[in-house]
Amino acid sequence: MKTLGRFAKDLDRNKALLLMVLPATLWFIFFAYLPMLGTIISFKEYRVSGGFLSSIINSRWVGFDNFKFLFSTDDAFIITRNTLLYNIVFIFIGLVLAVAMAIVLSEIANKKLAKWYQTGMFMPYFLSWVIVGYFAYSFLSFDRGMVNKIALAFGIDPVQFYSEPKYWPFIIVIVFLWKSLGYNSVVYLAAIMGIDKSLYEAAMIDGANKWQQIRNITLPMLTPLMTILTLLAIGRIFYADFGLFYQVTRDSGTLYNVTNVIDTYVYRGLKTTGEIGMSTAAGLYQSFVGFVLVITSNYVVRKVNKDNALF
Amino acid sequence: MGSTRKKLSIGLASILAVMLFLSACGNNGSSNNASPTGNAGNSEEPVELSWYTIGTPQKDVDKIMGEVSKYTKDKIGVTVKMTMIDWGDYNQKMQVLTASGADMDIMFTASWAFDYVQNARKGAFAPIDDLLKAQGKGITEVLDPAFLEGSKVDGKNYGVPANKELPAQEVWRFNKNLLDENKLSIADVRTLESLEPLLKTVKQNNPDVVPLQVDKNFMPYTPYDYLIEKFPLAVKLDDTGYKIVNIFETPEMKQALATMHKYYTAGYVPTEAATLESSSDVQATGKWFTDKATTQPFADNVWSTSYGYPIVSTPQSDALIYNLSVMGSMQAISANSKNKEKAMEFLNLLNTDPVLRNLVDSGIEGTHYKKTDANYMENLPESKNYDMPTFSLGNVMLTHLNPGDPADKWEQFKSYNDAGKPAILLGFNFDPTKVSNEIAAVQNAKEAFWAPLMTGTVDPEKYAPQAIKKLNDAGLGKILAEAQSQMDAWKTANNK
Repeated sequence: MKTLGRFAKDLDRNKALLLMVLPATLWFIFFAYLPMLGTIISFKEYRVSGGFLSSIINSRWVGFDNFKFLFSTDDAFIITRNTLLYNIVFIFIGLVLAVAMAIVLSEIANKKLAKWYQTGMFMPYFLSWVIVGYFAYSFLSFDRGMVNKIALAFGIDPVQFYSEPKYWPFIIVIVFLWKSLGYNSVVYLAAIMGIDKSLYEAAMIDGANKWQQIRNITLPMLTPLMTILTLLAIGRIFYADFGLFYQVTRDSGTLYNVTNVIDTYVYRGLKTTGEIGMSTAAGLYQSFVGFVLVITSNYVVRKVNKDNALF
Repeated sequence: MGSTRKKLSIGLASILAVMLFLSACGNNGSSNNASPTGNAGNSEEPVELSWYTIGTPQKDVDKIMGEVSKYTKDKIGVTVKMTMIDWGDYNQKMQVLTASGADMDIMFTASWAFDYVQNARKGAFAPIDDLLKAQGKGITEVLDPAFLEGSKVDGKNYGVPANKELPAQEVWRFNKNLLDENKLSIADVRTLESLEPLLKTVKQNNPDVVPLQVDKNFMPYTPYDYLIEKFPLAVKLDDTGYKIVNIFETPEMKQALATMHKYYTAGYVPTEAATLESSSDVQATGKWFTDKATTQPFADNVWSTSYGYPIVSTPQSDALIYNLSVMGSMQAISANSKNKEKAMEFLNLLNTDPVLRNLVDSGIEGTHYKKTDANYMENLPESKNYDMPTFSLGNVMLTHLNPGDPADKWEQFKSYNDAGKPAILLGFNFDPTKVSNEIAAVQNAKEAFWAPLMTGTVDPEKYAPQAIKKLNDAGLGKILAEAQSQMDAWKTANNK
């Protein structure tokens, strides 16, 4: 009774804050926690019988059978390697470039111009991958692509990009960065804007040059944000951007060695049989590995600096 | 203070409301299941049927369904509500709707959209064998028996096929302007190889034209019947031993791939054919000479009208009835439907009653179309608000003729259907449940080189052996063994 009383008192004291988190809490309950119960489907052979709940209950248990297709061939190695390596590259190059861009933008004296650049970089973030895929195609097409037209003008033989795997690790990284850089640098730019200006003034009085200011004030102040965003990205390291690897590569078979990732593998593998159980299993596997990685990397971060950790 | 407490309680109350709403949904799902499946029949109150079909949603659907309901209410005591789902969304939305146990009665299904066999096996559709006998007699009378025979899944029927062209026949289509310009004759063309002299002439005389238009969906014709669409397992059309083979190991496919590669190197095929989504670009410009297509009676006229320049065609295969051809367009009754009998009565009427069929197809006479003759009609401007895909809505042979159609159009369809011979696998549907892990792996292995090989982009001498090895590593052998045992059982059961 006493604890209940204290709880009510706490509730009353923090009601404004609680009300503020209420929408997000509800969102998480309905769209993140409630659907989690559905992971049970990954251990079942889902068959329709009546409504959704009764279908789940009446479907046959199959244990870990649904997970087998992810590990059954040498493709398992290729897709895991591609997914992990691309994401690691995306995280690190993305981080370095986003922070660098944010600092450059913040140092531009003409604020109007800075806004102009910022918007320009931000725009690609809103394009769908299908459209980005056609942009890339207009550059890389064999007979009509800009790259090959320019190459021809210089007397270089045109390249069939869509059947030459060796170029694609670079093309994919470049296209990804082009699309996501603007968004990420704006996040860091906002953090830079929040840094107390008196720090820079004090540094200037002490005779620090621009480079020293960036190294000793801006970067340390951004470290917590960089850690948190990187930790969150690590949690999604087993998820590949389906549109990037499917649309931008025009689903070209000859490129699969360097473009097949978990998400495209699952799509191609299940489109004939449409087993809901198997796709749920793939999703569960991805989030489970992501979960383990977040917990471990968060643990490591905590060891180094407790304040920078997520939890 | 008081007002904030009030707000909080409103907040809490709304959470409760949402919770209640959600749990009500859950209950609804299970009570649907519990309720008896046939409460219609003797009640006076008309039953509302909910009908899901494919196509770009049309503005006047509700208006026309109002008319349809008036007609069917008197005849069989049902009203109809139609929901159209656009071409690209149909598959996915229907998967979700069925998986979540939504309340549906009739739904469109086919081999190419909301996969008929797959969903029948998953329990999405109600078996209709008994319903066909009781309420669907008209359907069985109208349809060529091959339709119902060929669309059986594990011995049962789950869908009413639309009465339309039955056999499938592959043809070479030609851009007639280019034929005339180069004074070429198509009389001797049939095989892939026989095209060569024509392609050569066109390549020489018209350098800006694609001699053989091919996109990533292209497959050279071989006399085999495939177990699963675009999957390398097949049975030779005249093999009475019903032996399943890997298509890449057959002499016919080997030769076809070699020829395709020769054409590719000669520049007859688009350079990026293996990643080309569709041929609609060159079809619009008319800068192509020939391609492969599936025909039906008067197809040349239809193609010529839709492209705006004359097209002629010549066969490259016999007209055969495949599983895919009988499952091109079907209406199934949902396993969750509470009005299965009424739904079948409606389907029966739709497939036998010209008034209803034309109302559903073309809209209201005088508003959307006008009759010009007993059998002919002409679209009125209003028809842009109700432009339906005719083939997806049941028996096409009841529909009015369009201007320019020959008077004996449907008779020709019938004789075309009668002439079609069943392909070897008609009626056999492979059940992949036991090997779904292997199928997933083989699909990935297959997709990596399917389009490059089929379009001739890569050299089959080098890549076909690699492909065969990768397929076998991914477990094609196990799928083949499982399919062969199902095939043998089916063979014995059907006295083949």
